Amino acid sequence: MTLSATGVSIRFGGLVALNNVAVSVSPGEILGLVGPNGAGKTTLFNCLTGVSKPQAGKVQLEGRDISRLSLADRVRLGIGRTFQTPRLDLGSSVADAVMLGFNPRLRQSIVSACLPFSKARRTEDDLSSRARQLIAEFQLTADPDSSAGELSLGHLRLLEVARALASEPRYLLLDEPAAGIDDVDRDLLADAIRNAAARGLGVLLVEHNVGFVAELSHRMVALVSGEVVAEGKPAYVVADPQVVAAYLGVHHVAA
Amino acid sequence: MSNEAKLWTAPAVIVVGFCIVMLLGIAQPSLHTTMFTIGLYALIALPLGLIYGQGGTISMAQGSFAALGAYTSAILCTRFGFSPTLSVIPAVVMPACVAFLIARPILRLPELSLALVTLSLGTVVAVGLQRGGDFTGSFVGLSGAPPLPLVGNHPVWVATTLWAVVLIVVIMYSHFVHSARGRSLNAIRVDRLLAESMGVNVPFDLSIMFAIAAGIAGLAGWFYVHTLGYIAPDSLGAHTSANILFMVVLGGRRAVLGPVLGATFFTFANDFLPGAETHGLFFGTILVLILLLSPDGILSPQAMRVLRRLFSRRDRVSRARLPGTAEVTEASR
Repeated sequence: MTLSATGVSIRFGGLVALNNVAVSVSPGEILGLVGPNGAGKTTLFNCLTGVSKPQAGKVQLEGRDISRLSLADRVRLGIGRTFQTPRLDLGSSVADAVMLGFNPRLRQSIVSACLPFSKARRTEDDLSSRARQLIAEFQLTADPDSSAGELSLGHLRLLEVARALASEPRYLLLDEPAAGIDDVDRDLLADAIRNAAARGLGVLLVEHNVGFVAELSHRMVALVSGEVVAEGKPAYVVADPQVVAAYLGVHHVAA
Repeated sequence: MSNEAKLWTAPAVIVVGFCIVMLLGIAQPSLHTTMFTIGLYALIALPLGLIYGQGGTISMAQGSFAALGAYTSAILCTRFGFSPTLSVIPAVVMPACVAFLIARPILRLPELSLALVTLSLGTVVAVGLQRGGDFTGSFVGLSGAPPLPLVGNHPVWVATTLWAVVLIVVIMYSHFVHSARGRSLNAIRVDRLLAESMGVNVPFDLSIMFAIAAGIAGLAGWFYVHTLGYIAPDSLGAHTSANILFMVVLGGRRAVLGPVLGATFFTFANDFLPGAETHGLFFGTILVLILLLSPDGILSPQAMRVLRRLFSRRDRVSRARLPGTAEVTEASR
């Protein structure tokens, strides 16, 4: 019962971005994926979410091969995600931005959406109050009707997590959620991630910042040049000579 | 603003505006014809507001889809003896099907290319109609289309029927914007990757919206041909498409009522401006000014927010002045 990639390889022209990589996330587990720039973290992330398709190997969701499914299909199957640069309509209200997150679970017809007194109308009130609960829970803003453009980068990242959780995913994939945000927001984010895992979600955390991941994750995988070089308990992976070398350079280790 | 108010403001404005102008029309009967023209433009422009303002997908083919609808109905009525009551269905379905078929390959294009492709689609339709021989009436067009069912040619009833349809479209549009589907369409405008990550089947949803927009334009074409009794290749077409886009951009592409406001402005300006040759100069200047001052048009989200803030502040202040109501005001915020 996992979300897993096995034997995944992707090359862009002559560049091998991923070479025979295997990772898996179990429900309730926080898996940290670290690696220096260009290690293939984002490529692997894209492979799991469906933005890019592996040239070899497969991606499986609880035993089912989902390698060929689109991003939209995978979201409906329960793989929620956030983006490295928050993607949302900065002109919309915070409430509307979060309410978008309910869409993967809804099967609303256009006719129902257009008509007064339809089923879509009754759902709308329900969604609105659920979105407001999420906004309160994540302390995004005191006024859910205010513009999303007024939020800080940290709060936009939290908003993306809230939006991803609105789709009731079984796995939550976070692309560099802690990059460029302050300590207060980082703590809120860490709490949100722990809570999600405590509720039984499998969390994959892709991060450049090893400290944040090591503190948060149950298990870590280190990628260097498209290959898994270390996997296991955070303390073990952080101390791995290859990981240290990749982050700090070989000479520092030798000295 | 409560949910109900959000949904019903735009339809209420339409009803009130329509009643006022029609009453003024008792003193000045030409206003009834003007109202018909505005309604016609509004009906073609509203769905463009939907796909362009909400979906971020520009189309310069709305006029041509209206022409397709008009021709379909005129040909069925004059050549095959259909009644307009029956031909309204093919007049809507035909442009919608054409739009749906061409949508998938072209809607992935960036905005400028899409404008050019949809514009050239208009040229294809125009040339097809001109070269259609007796079937389409070639350059002369078709005349003798029967008047609308029930209401006939009476300007007041024709305008009322048309505006009833506009009202229905506005009600549906208002509801759509505040629904999960509306949020999906907005997500497509902001970022297609975002829309996909929210489970939206982007190519299919866009194609459906494009087809609905074309179908509503076809309905406007049906009104046109059965009111005027006549249609030629240049009656509706590329220049109509350009004017429709002007109305949407000017009135405010993001607001439900933007296209209606644009259509009203355009029609009155056309009626009151002297000399057709100066129109281009006037409209060009207006467009440049609007785009400089408020890039999202007159009814832009920014403008709306400023208005809303002004109103709510006045409301709050006046209530706070009453003794004993301060806490209530605070809590109800």
